[in-house]
Amino acid sequence: MVMQISLKKNKMQELPLVKDINLYLDEKPSVYALRQKARQALEKNKYPIKKIEAWKYTNIQPILSSNLKFEKEGHICTNECCHNHEKSSKIEIRFCNGKLHIEEYNLPKGLIIKSLPEVLYEGEYKQYLFNSFDIDKHPFAALNGIYLEQGICIYVEKNTKITDPIEIIYSQNKSNENQIHIHNLIILEKGASIEIYEKSSSNKVNTYLINTINEIYLKPDSCLHHYKKQNDSNNSYHIALNSIKIQSNASYKQYYLSKGAQISRQETAIDLQQSKASAEIYTAYTAQKNCLTDITTNINHLSENTYSNQYAKAILEAQSSAVFQGKIHIAPDAIKTEGHQLHKALYLNENADLNCKPELEIFADDVKCSHGASCGEIDKEQLFYLTSRGISKKDAINLLISAHLQEIISLIPNKDIQEEFSY
Amino acid sequence: MEKPLLEIKHLCARVEDKEIIKDLSLTINAGEVHAIMGPNGAGKSSLSYVLSGKDGYEVTSGSVTFKGKDLLNMPAEERAREGLFLSMQLPTEIPGVVISNFLKQSLNSILKHRGKEELDTISFMKLLRLEANKLNISQEMLKRFVNVGFSGGEKKRFETLQMALLKPDFCILDEIDSGLDIDALKTVSDGVNSLRNTNNSFLVITHYQRLLDHIQPDVVHIFADGHIIKTGDKTLATQLEQNGYADFIKEE
Ligand SMILES: Nc1ncnc2c1ncn2[C@@H]1O[C@H](COP(=O)(O)OP(=O)(O)OP(=O)(O)O)[C@@H](O)[C@H]1O
Ligand SMILES: [Mg+2]
Repeated sequence: MVMQISLKKNKMQELPLVKDINLYLDEKPSVYALRQKARQALEKNKYPIKKIEAWKYTNIQPILSSNLKFEKEGHICTNECCHNHEKSSKIEIRFCNGKLHIEEYNLPKGLIIKSLPEVLYEGEYKQYLFNSFDIDKHPFAALNGIYLEQGICIYVEKNTKITDPIEIIYSQNKSNENQIHIHNLIILEKGASIEIYEKSSSNKVNTYLINTINEIYLKPDSCLHHYKKQNDSNNSYHIALNSIKIQSNASYKQYYLSKGAQISRQETAIDLQQSKASAEIYTAYTAQKNCLTDITTNINHLSENTYSNQYAKAILEAQSSAVFQGKIHIAPDAIKTEGHQLHKALYLNENADLNCKPELEIFADDVKCSHGASCGEIDKEQLFYLTSRGISKKDAINLLISAHLQEIISLIPNKDIQEEFSY
Repeated sequence: MEKPLLEIKHLCARVEDKEIIKDLSLTINAGEVHAIMGPNGAGKSSLSYVLSGKDGYEVTSGSVTFKGKDLLNMPAEERAREGLFLSMQLPTEIPGVVISNFLKQSLNSILKHRGKEELDTISFMKLLRLEANKLNISQEMLKRFVNVGFSGGEKKRFETLQMALLKPDFCILDEIDSGLDIDALKTVSDGVNSLRNTNNSFLVITHYQRLLDHIQPDVVHIFADGHIIKTGDKTLATQLEQNGYADFIKEE
């Protein structure tokens, strides 16, 4: 009741992509409060415009003017198509057009998987929600919060080690022009270790926005391998925020392959909170013609002896745009830390636009830091060698493109996923 | 009548505004081995690039006919598919491209062009292992990236392996003997000799008679300043070995 009164008092602002605010008035007040807080944050801060440093090079106007709908019907996916796939030992969590497909899993001991509504209503893991980042600084996370409903919570108990990757699959195969918002929580207790493999794709050339948040908490001595393959429709928008808190001696490794979407942004914000926390981010991306790919990272070294390494390789097609912004912040207490960053781009045509912005903020002594960037074109000698063996120019270029990304892909420890990442 | 496989007529070519091939004429019949010897910088490698269609090597006049077709009109890949092969003086390193993958694409594009059935991975790997064995190339090496970190001799053996797989009609061997130790020279020459038949021809570019002891040429040409200045039989190579180029170049 109270909520509705306050709603009447405040005149609602018109905000792009925010539809039908009455949608959730029937919800439990505490959930409603989260959504309301998100809405207030978006109203206050608005969508990022070029004036905001973090979004300076990424024009999101096409997303805002897209008028994408939000499909409120059906909290879960009941599609027949999803039942077809073979029951395997693999744990596959599917979101079909943004709706969680509920399935019975045979979960190994120590692994708990819950849907976001369960988290919201039971409250057990709720303290982790919207807790790892500042919603005022992440407008798309605020938008995500307004529609808070879809997502998964993966909780791994102390010392549980699971080797098979847990797959999270987002398939957007509808022609409807939808916005999809997914909010995941991944919590690894002390000494736990798992692999997560996110896949986002569409089998159509359809228009949609997929906006995901992963809030990841790594307790001491835990280890997460986080794979992600983004192969969305060329008319779609893919916005992802990965917010990761890493405690002592815990390690996070991200392997990201990006090739689809008209506008995509993979933002990774990491706090290395305690000593010997480490984070590695390996990215292989193709910025396609008339598309924009944004890789943004923000790594905070907050304690001594922390380590971070970021290595990205890019293919820039004609008329593509790419943004690579990597910030390494080393706090005064973070002595004996190491932070590295490297970006290598391959231009297929000089008519491509790359904004590469490394940023180092070092407030501690006795640290090792480096950053570097290079860009070049397809090597003429290599191209001749391949074509002189009968390989068509097109195939030869494709071979050299995969070769460029191969250096990143070959770092993937899981051989099956390495295979899937290879072109 | 002998059947010409390759006919070069009054060829002139340049690279970056520099005249490199100057009025070169040469006819090579099917089944023949021709050797080209000549001083550093004479344009021998350039000739091999002009023939195989490398960008930047611009033909200003003359013609080249290969198996009755106009060679100069074809892009590099088509020349290879038609049966031309260049074993390079300095084979290019290609990090990230795995040998087996590269050779499978290469062979299949050539088989397809010739209207033959392409090989699947299993039968291709079988063939590759067989040919590699003959040239003392280890299975481990086939898993590596193309030419990356290969020793000079390994690179030449790998070029020979490609030749053995692709079965070209006309091979240009640009200093295939450079960097080879005595045993490897024998392995590579044996490899080349085993490919010789009455239908294919070789143009062997070398600085040393030693190679020609292994790969016996029918004709030896002396090449200087962008064209052939003297043609003879094998004894020409012996003469060169003893006295160098000075006599011939003066003669001209
Ligand atoms: N891309 C190029 N740009 C400029 N000059 C070139 C280029 N390629 C070749 N040349 C020049 O053309 C001349 C002939 O070179 P080429 O490599 O054909 O000689 P070569 O006869 O093969 O010599 P070697 O016996 O040393 O291998 C040299 O003077 C060389 O510097
Ligand atoms: Mg040469």
